[in-house]
Amino acid sequence: MIRYLQIFGTFVAASLVRDMTFRLNFILECVTGLGWMAMNLAFYLLVFSYTPEIGAGSGWTKPPFFVFLGTGLIINAIVQAFFMPSAEEFAEMVRTGGLDTTLVKPVDAQFLLSMHRVKFSAFANGLVGVALVAWGVSKLDPAPTTAAWLLYPLLLACGVAILYGFIVMLAAATILMGRNQSLYDFWFYITNFSRYPAEIYTGPWGGPLRMVCTFVLPILLVVNVPAHTLALPIRTADVRLIIAAVVAAAVMLGLSRLTFQAAISKYRSASS
Amino acid sequence: MISSSSPSPVIDVHGLAKHYRVADKREGIASSIRGLFHRTSRTVEALRGVSLSVDPGEFVAILGPNGAGKTTFLKLLSGIITPTTGTAEVLGHVPWQRHDDFRRRFALVMGQKNQLWWDLPAAESFRLHQVIYRLDRRRFEQTRDELVELLEVGRLIHQPVRELSLGERMKLELIAALLHEPEVLLLDEPTIGLDVVAQHSIHTFLRKVQTERGTTVLLTTHYMKDVAALCRRVVVITHGRILYDGTLAEIIDRFTTHKIVTLDFEQPPSETTIASWGEACERDGPQVRLRIDRERIAETLPRILAGQSVLDVTVEDVPLEDVIADLFRTGRETHDHASDPRGEPA
Amino acid sequence: MSGSATLSREQLLPSWHGWSTMLSISVADRLAHRGDFFVGTLFRFLPIVTQIFLWTAVFSAAGSGLIAGYSRNDFVAYYLLTMMARSFSSMPGLAGGIARSVRDGSVKKYLVQPVDYVGFLMAARVAHKLVYFAIAAAPFSLMFFLCRDFFPPLPEATTIAAFLATLVMSFLLGFFLEATLGMLGFWVLEVSSLIFVYMLAQYLLSGHMFPLDMLDSIELTQAGFTLGDLVQLMPFQYTAYFPCAVWLGKIEGQELAYGLLVEAIWVVVAAAACRIAFLRGTRRYSAYGG
Repeated sequence: MIRYLQIFGTFVAASLVRDMTFRLNFILECVTGLGWMAMNLAFYLLVFSYTPEIGAGSGWTKPPFFVFLGTGLIINAIVQAFFMPSAEEFAEMVRTGGLDTTLVKPVDAQFLLSMHRVKFSAFANGLVGVALVAWGVSKLDPAPTTAAWLLYPLLLACGVAILYGFIVMLAAATILMGRNQSLYDFWFYITNFSRYPAEIYTGPWGGPLRMVCTFVLPILLVVNVPAHTLALPIRTADVRLIIAAVVAAAVMLGLSRLTFQAAISKYRSASS
Repeated sequence: MISSSSPSPVIDVHGLAKHYRVADKREGIASSIRGLFHRTSRTVEALRGVSLSVDPGEFVAILGPNGAGKTTFLKLLSGIITPTTGTAEVLGHVPWQRHDDFRRRFALVMGQKNQLWWDLPAAESFRLHQVIYRLDRRRFEQTRDELVELLEVGRLIHQPVRELSLGERMKLELIAALLHEPEVLLLDEPTIGLDVVAQHSIHTFLRKVQTERGTTVLLTTHYMKDVAALCRRVVVITHGRILYDGTLAEIIDRFTTHKIVTLDFEQPPSETTIASWGEACERDGPQVRLRIDRERIAETLPRILAGQSVLDVTVEDVPLEDVIADLFRTGRETHDHASDPRGEPA
Repeated sequence: MSGSATLSREQLLPSWHGWSTMLSISVADRLAHRGDFFVGTLFRFLPIVTQIFLWTAVFSAAGSGLIAGYSRNDFVAYYLLTMMARSFSSMPGLAGGIARSVRDGSVKKYLVQPVDYVGFLMAARVAHKLVYFAIAAAPFSLMFFLCRDFFPPLPEATTIAAFLATLVMSFLLGFFLEATLGMLGFWVLEVSSLIFVYMLAQYLLSGHMFPLDMLDSIELTQAGFTLGDLVQLMPFQYTAYFPCAVWLGKIEGQELAYGLLVEAIWVVVAAAACRIAFLRGTRRYSAYGG
């Protein structure tokens, strides 16, 4: 375990050196990320000038909604910083035979492949997320309970774990199918649903969609559960979702590992 | 070929085979559309049942043309892929089970492939290596310094790897592979793309390391130079099968039926005369090169010397390259004529 | 290279043979990546689904049935229409491609040959769009059919004609704006930052994210000059907002005629800017020996 932390430490250090070597790129990436985020924020500010709440009776007025947005930014920052960079390089690695050299080393392949690259520019949006959460929480009435504060980091971790599980499964698919072009697209579409509060999915189509995206493909648990727990009063129905989030995280981690191991065992190493 | 009296071989392979199913790709619009609904595939037999045994400390070259299955063989031995049939044991482990105990005791280096971090100095990659393989710091530093000095790359390990030439990178890759003092070293075409000087220094390095540390080395290549410089035992693989397993000298002995005789005549002889001695391969004015059956040299040569005014004569073995090329071709013919139900040439 | 700033017909329309070759290659290429194509086209409509739910939720607490003059159904129809408008006006890789060919010198061959570079690019884009529409027509039609209830009744023939006119002009405008941006590569080494700023501005101000009428409620000065008014002065609205607003009947009569005229003027201005940038740029380029 300690060894893995040490190895991860070298990854972080090496990535930092790399990012600082290409400093201009780093700054551009930060700016780009912040730019898109700012536009999104502007959009919601505009929307809130026309309505006090997103979803009548949902509780998502401006302060809670900004906690939601901030939570989303934090979770995405963690995923974009620690896991996506390795995932993006993954298809290229498979194509050029980099996966071969990984399999030969006495370290867990999944660990090496999903965590060897850290992108520090992703933290820019994460910091904004923290600011948004702080602002939103300061305007909340009633303020969050201690339980909510204790649950929040745990549920953030669960959200990250669920997304990580998706990433690993997509990586396993890449090993099996050898093509990657749609990884990033796929990722955008999968996470698209998680960018909005689950409460907007109502009605004859929305209800079932919400169920599927909560209990089958647990995307709606990622941002919703931690944000809801912190920003809105916890009712009995919400406890069910909190448990679901923890369970989903465990299931996603386990399932993705199994998928990954299966993919590795079928690996053809077609490059030569 | 140090036969210590250790009984068990370090690499033990029986009937190892690997088949792939490959989907057919088509050209053209019509085929693309048809490809939407129906895909055909065929089987590629990369390795067709290979058996081999290597004792500790041996240096074995695996020689074969491109596509022969050498790389597939090495990937099976390193556990990267699983075989279709057959068994293999390396250092007492089944490679494709990928036990950490196994992975800690061997190393794989593939020519033209990078294991080192691209943007960072090799020294950083070495450090990572130390952590991954759990090497004792002092011992690691000692090994590292020794290897760096041997290959004279002290300056280079602090430069980003991407700034280095292919030859320099290869040397660093080799060092990285040996930092954890593996008992088995698997090398896949390590000298490919390198200039003569780099090749030579790597040959020297490998020889030294192997004798000093008694590492078992398996090296795949299609260069004769590698083989001639490094090892006595050669395994020739073509079309996924072992064609020959022995020494270089035996190859020449077994697989050549003639020798090359080069003669410098004072007066160039006629075509018919030359034809009566043997098969002419080259003619450059008064100089003629002939292939003469080995058994017949004893009688033919005196005949030539008696009948002509000869200024110089040389008798040589057929160049090894030609022997091997012939061997590869023989392998192909055997393969093509074999009753293979699929009947498709590789 | 002629000093004229206008594009002759011959320069805009290359041979039929060239077009048909480009077409067949594009089609084959698309079909070769059929897995991606199937999934990709379908998935492109996913964000619309979330938009429908989002705006329904927004309206549920908004109080009145209209936001900036749009009903909930109008919003959905609007987003679908922006997808169509964007398929006309978006030019992926145009600016970057020009900048890159300037940077690596491959633009030289166009300066030497008796082929008009801008015309060539335009022709390539038209071919590209034709292929795209041919293939995307099915998914598009399916989506519009499924969502037909969100749309107001079919507008009059004149409105439809005006709509088509704005679509064609938005194609031209998008093309010339991005081409001019790419031409900046003759002066600036790293155009990608500029392209990024342009993309950002476009995304926000073209009406891609929301109908620009929503900006009318933000007052910038005492005199009632709104953010909406400011954005109206820029050309970005014509690449997404304007065609959609026309179809939905938000702009009619004199306002419509006026808008079409302004759009046409923007097209001419952008085309001129592109041509001037090209002439100046190539002159500078040759002066520096390339």
